[in-house]
Amino acid sequence: MAIRKIRIMGDRILTKKCRPVDEVTPKIKTLIKDMLDTMYDAYGVGLAAPQVGILKRIVVIDVGDRPWVLINPEITETSGSQTGDEGCLSLPGKSGTVTRPNVVTVKAYDENMEPFTLTGEGLLARAICHECEHLDGIMYVEHVEGELHDNQYDEQEEDE
Amino acid sequence: MTIESDVRGTALEILLEIIQGNEYSHIAVRNALDKMQYLPKQERAFINRLVEGTLEYMLRIDYVLDQYSSVKVKKMKPVIRNILRCGVYQILFMDSVPDSAACNEAVKLAQKKGFYSLKGFVNGVLRTVAREKDHIVYPVREKNLSEYLSVWYSMPLWLVERWLGEYGPEITETMLKEFLADRPTTIRCQLYRMDPELTVSSLIKQGAKVEKAPYLPYAWYLSDYSHLAGLKSFVMGRFVVQDISSMLVTEAAAPKKGDYVIDLCAAPGGKSLHVADRMEGYGHVDARDLTDYKVELIQENIKRTGAINIAASKKDATVRDKESLEKADIVLADVPCSGLGVIGKKTDIKYRVDQDKIQELVVLQRQILHNAASYVKPGGTLIYSTCTITREENIENVEWFLENYPYKLESLDPYLCEELHSETTEKGYLQLLPGVHKTDGFFLARFRKK
Repeated sequence: MAIRKIRIMGDRILTKKCRPVDEVTPKIKTLIKDMLDTMYDAYGVGLAAPQVGILKRIVVIDVGDRPWVLINPEITETSGSQTGDEGCLSLPGKSGTVTRPNVVTVKAYDENMEPFTLTGEGLLARAICHECEHLDGIMYVEHVEGELHDNQYDEQEEDE
Repeated sequence: MTIESDVRGTALEILLEIIQGNEYSHIAVRNALDKMQYLPKQERAFINRLVEGTLEYMLRIDYVLDQYSSVKVKKMKPVIRNILRCGVYQILFMDSVPDSAACNEAVKLAQKKGFYSLKGFVNGVLRTVAREKDHIVYPVREKNLSEYLSVWYSMPLWLVERWLGEYGPEITETMLKEFLADRPTTIRCQLYRMDPELTVSSLIKQGAKVEKAPYLPYAWYLSDYSHLAGLKSFVMGRFVVQDISSMLVTEAAAPKKGDYVIDLCAAPGGKSLHVADRMEGYGHVDARDLTDYKVELIQENIKRTGAINIAASKKDATVRDKESLEKADIVLADVPCSGLGVIGKKTDIKYRVDQDKIQELVVLQRQILHNAASYVKPGGTLIYSTCTITREENIENVEWFLENYPYKLESLDPYLCEELHSETTEKGYLQLLPGVHKTDGFFLARFRKK
């Protein structure tokens, strides 16, 4: 497995618009695998290609049930709303309150370029919105209500 | 994207599910953690420790809360009650959590759950407990022994009083201490076509810690592993997780190659597989249990160990199976019981059992024994066992059985190591007590059909 370097906010690449993927080459397969490894390694629930410095429309998400790979994702439908805290691997240690749709439907291609539709609710919906915006150079901080706050990590000492 | 993990909020949800929703603690914890695979290992361990620890010490924690809160624990709203319990647990038992963090996080959690007006209350109570934690006044042992034992060891008063009556103060306290102690996993190495020494050395190579367990040559303590399925020797079926007490059942049954053995309540299959291993591929073990889920558990274990002389099936032990009449050389009746011998492993049992439940279980146990009696061939063996320590479910059932069925007790001594020999094992039964013996609390009796 290969862990790629995660770009931190301030890096210009995070503000750029990504290009669509035409074909899944072996290189792209490796990229997808590395993105999943990098996301799990950093305890993230989603990661977009520009966050590892690649301007391609690819995101990976795993909110706990299974990994999703979305190539050229397009959100087709949203409904409801949820307000809650989210953070970003490109802005470590911080989080902020963001309101997102509660249900999101997205059309995308999988790692074999097969088209599929995914409808997510709650955390999955939030992750889809968050990651898809990365592909257009948008960070969640643009939507934060109130102030960003520091995450607390005082509970990490226990190990059994 | 990341989400700020809320370990205390998660622990609270799980606790509410166990206490208000009546879910078993190990199942509630597992279900919750399964849904949060993205959590780092330390946070999973933190949640598990906080839930199990708060439950384990709940009576002592409630006693402390009642000392410092103007509102009694019983009168609190469930959410606030359990936020406070978790807070007190962290203050009293988790050295790694600063008291200030335990208080602050509890206050935040109360606010998040919509109890804005109770923030001050939560803060006040927990800060007082943190300040006074070295001066808490517990019931005085000399004045009221049962109350002291109940609060200190967090055991319902009626159980403490019952054991004081049955076993006396010394043994009762030994057991109470043992229930709260940490114990490593016990494993039984498979012997047929397996070299137990190789199993042990391979486990050590995989990074686990293995130590010799008492009473049986093939029993070992296993620790320092992250999860079983990650151990190659486990996947290969070289060992089975099983308490020593339960291994003694197969020793007492002493199956011969070629015997037909019925295990009436077999899930997850530890005893059945042990018998199958002992018969070295010969004979047949008929491992039965009540539900599809339980039968699947047995089947999983059969598959993993690769045993060929055993099959699992769904059969209700309380319903007489005409096809089994006088067919079995050995019948194992390890009946459903109050489980008071395994409180150390299943934290919430102590709060769920009551006198009525025990009476209901005795009826069920006798129903199963009644059927079991008819499945044994004349001259065959019946082993009765429970993982509890109540007279009603153990010796009283034995006496009832001897009065009503053509069986006699038979000495266990030929099958047990000398350390376990006693007056009762010579007669044919053995009550294992946690802390007194180096096992779970367990009962077994060996009968021969006339």
